[in-house]
Amino acid sequence: MGKILRLVGRRLWQLLPIIVFATFVVFSLLQLVPGDPAVVLAGDYASEQRIAEIRQLYGLDQPFLVQYGVWLLHALEGNLGRSLLTSESVSQLILYRLPNTLLIAVYALVIAGVVGVALGVAAATRVGTRLDAFITGLASLGVALPSFWLAMILVATLSLGLHWFPTTGAAPLLTDPWGAIMHATLPAVALAVGVIAELARQVRSALIEVLNSQYIRTLRAKGLSSGAVLWKHGLRNISVTLLTLLGLQVNRLFSGAVVIEAVFAIPGVGSLVANSALNKDFPVVQGVVLVLVVIVILINLLVDVLSALLDPRAAEA
Amino acid sequence: MSNDIDLLRLDRRRVMQATAAAAGALLLPGTSFAEDAPRKGGTLRVAMPYNPGSVDPMTGRNLTDFNVLYGVFDALVDFEPLTLELKPGLAKSWKFADLKTLVLELQEGVTFHDGSPFNADAVKFNLDRYKNDPRSNVKSDLSSVESVEVNAPNKVTIRLNKPNVGLPVILTNRVGLMVSPKSIQEKGPNVDRNPVGTGPFKFVSWQDNDSFVLNRNENYWKPGLPYLDALNMRIISELNTVVRTVTAGECDVALNLQPQQKVVADRAGGVVTKVFPSLVPYLAFINYGRPPLDNLQVRQALNYAINRDEINKVAALGLGQPSSTILSKAHWACDPETVNYYTYDPAKAKKLLADAGHPDGIDIETIGWADQTAMQRQEIIISQLAKVGIRIKLTPLSPQQAVQAFMIDKKGAMFISPSSPFADPSQFYENLFGKDALRNAGRVELPGFRELLDATMDTPDQNARKAAFAKLQRFTVENALSLVQFIAPAIGVMSGKVQNYKDGLPATPKFTEVWLSA
Repeated sequence: MGKILRLVGRRLWQLLPIIVFATFVVFSLLQLVPGDPAVVLAGDYASEQRIAEIRQLYGLDQPFLVQYGVWLLHALEGNLGRSLLTSESVSQLILYRLPNTLLIAVYALVIAGVVGVALGVAAATRVGTRLDAFITGLASLGVALPSFWLAMILVATLSLGLHWFPTTGAAPLLTDPWGAIMHATLPAVALAVGVIAELARQVRSALIEVLNSQYIRTLRAKGLSSGAVLWKHGLRNISVTLLTLLGLQVNRLFSGAVVIEAVFAIPGVGSLVANSALNKDFPVVQGVVLVLVVIVILINLLVDVLSALLDPRAAEA
Repeated sequence: MSNDIDLLRLDRRRVMQATAAAAGALLLPGTSFAEDAPRKGGTLRVAMPYNPGSVDPMTGRNLTDFNVLYGVFDALVDFEPLTLELKPGLAKSWKFADLKTLVLELQEGVTFHDGSPFNADAVKFNLDRYKNDPRSNVKSDLSSVESVEVNAPNKVTIRLNKPNVGLPVILTNRVGLMVSPKSIQEKGPNVDRNPVGTGPFKFVSWQDNDSFVLNRNENYWKPGLPYLDALNMRIISELNTVVRTVTAGECDVALNLQPQQKVVADRAGGVVTKVFPSLVPYLAFINYGRPPLDNLQVRQALNYAINRDEINKVAALGLGQPSSTILSKAHWACDPETVNYYTYDPAKAKKLLADAGHPDGIDIETIGWADQTAMQRQEIIISQLAKVGIRIKLTPLSPQQAVQAFMIDKKGAMFISPSSPFADPSQFYENLFGKDALRNAGRVELPGFRELLDATMDTPDQNARKAAFAKLQRFTVENALSLVQFIAPAIGVMSGKVQNYKDGLPATPKFTEVWLSA
């Protein structure tokens, strides 16, 4: 237990420097993107004089490090600032939009976890059969399919065609849970396919390796049923690998969300950060990056803690 | 007793007669069992692709903001969408006492959504704010205004520093929208997200890039209006998704679409598509302050070398209006003879190029947009020009990068892009070809331009103005100051329940008189 607490403490301690580093890198990259937010702010009425006025008004003519420093100081106080383009509070924007993205990401992870592991197990326990070949083939297809295309197919058939699901948007989970689930289903399925494919392949190969190990052969020789061998021993041994995989797939889900949110018009952080980056709305981009860094680090921490609980050897790392 | 029963008895004959009558009525064109009279009630669900940056008229920046602005605010001067004819707005009348003095008489008994009164003080407050606030994007609209005087609670005099007969037209636009002074005093100078006006709808909420909710203003000064209970606007950046919400029945109206979406909508069926002429020209801005396009013959060669009908067919699916000039032929200030001034004549283009000293053709550095529709349009133009030896070297950029590159960094000789439209035609010419105009990358005014432009500002008589604009227009077309391809259509897609939807030249639909059938 003490080891786990030390692990958690170490990770939380690393959080701040990682946030500073990540946001600094993103801010620098944003500077390299050609374009000037002052031009966007001036809009149809732009003139050279107006653009210069705007630059001064919003502090866009300050040196790069000063702009970053000011942002960082405010962020440490909990003030993420306001969008350059719409004056909306960045914290408010994120609070409103993050739950929508989290819902489809978690939903996709659950679908992918259940289906991917099931397929992987099915293939691993029937190696060499036609089922195994079919699942492996399906997995390769799943990795190659563009999620955008799949999303549009799903919309065309299940939504516009059969009217089983809504076409666009999101509903708030707390006040309309059933509506929220219905709206999130097609996006989650589209997102999940790539992850299912990945999980199926990895679970299959990891499980095959474990099931062929000496330890398992010994258990079988001792007369343990194949059911118990699989569920009690086989899966437990790959559980750490599985957890790590799921944790890694979370990154993939967040980046996939950008595209899926566009197709389904979901007000989430994926579309938020994409739009803001294109328009060089740096307070919003920085705010979203900060929140996402925290989420990813916390998820990695969760994976590590669970791994340590399942396999004490992992806590040594 | 038996008589009562007779009256109530629905025998077979009567039912048949009634059915026949009903069926007959349905067959008559133009009649329906839906009401012809406007029905009060219902929430109109609108889908639009653009998020306003701000709904304070002063700090906003794009034409599409008006989807919301005209709901929450009224302008001093109103207009008829299809003809641009001016009508009374919050100002019930206006008159030029002399060329430098405009007197407005205001509507009485109008209140802002927060209950404060609309009066001459409010007008002065707003005009001064638009002119002087550091965050004001619209100062240039009021550059001719010297001062604003309050004469009486319902009377305002605007004194100008130079004649500007276009001012009433300008007051239909941002600087004519009246914001509640009380709201600014209470909520601080930044009311970008807290619009309080006199308009038919009251602002309820705005989630960035997601939704706008506006409710009916029960105390609206126009009796009986608006018909709708509320406007629920969804902001969806992907255009095809916008159309899908209407075809799937999740929204009632989709706005600000491109011609391609009309095809998608027609194919889905069950919806009505409306196409209106707009004021937005698709053209190429030209830097005529330096070689190679400072040469008139080269510019004219460009204009003869493009096939506008083909561009219109491919890029706008034939829904636009091919044009050699920036104004739509539906516009009152447009001289119809300039519309097709440049015919498609590659031979003439080649000859002009040769006369200009480029017998082997010429290379032109060009900036353009990077999205798929723009690239398609640009590729057609490039291939047409290549046929006469004009080789375009295109740099595609995002819209704001392109503006930066061409208009500020002065890169390239041409910039292929649509232009934003302007309320008064004099503003159009000033902002495209004036010496200080951002879009005039060369910052050069051709001799004769300024006099012709001034002549459109100092005659309040509409016919005389029209004639002055005709001269100015000919000047800009004959001198090939830009390369206009076509005037864009304004496209809306809506369900059959939406009645009385009016859009027009400014492409700024108003929902004041829209109603939903049952």
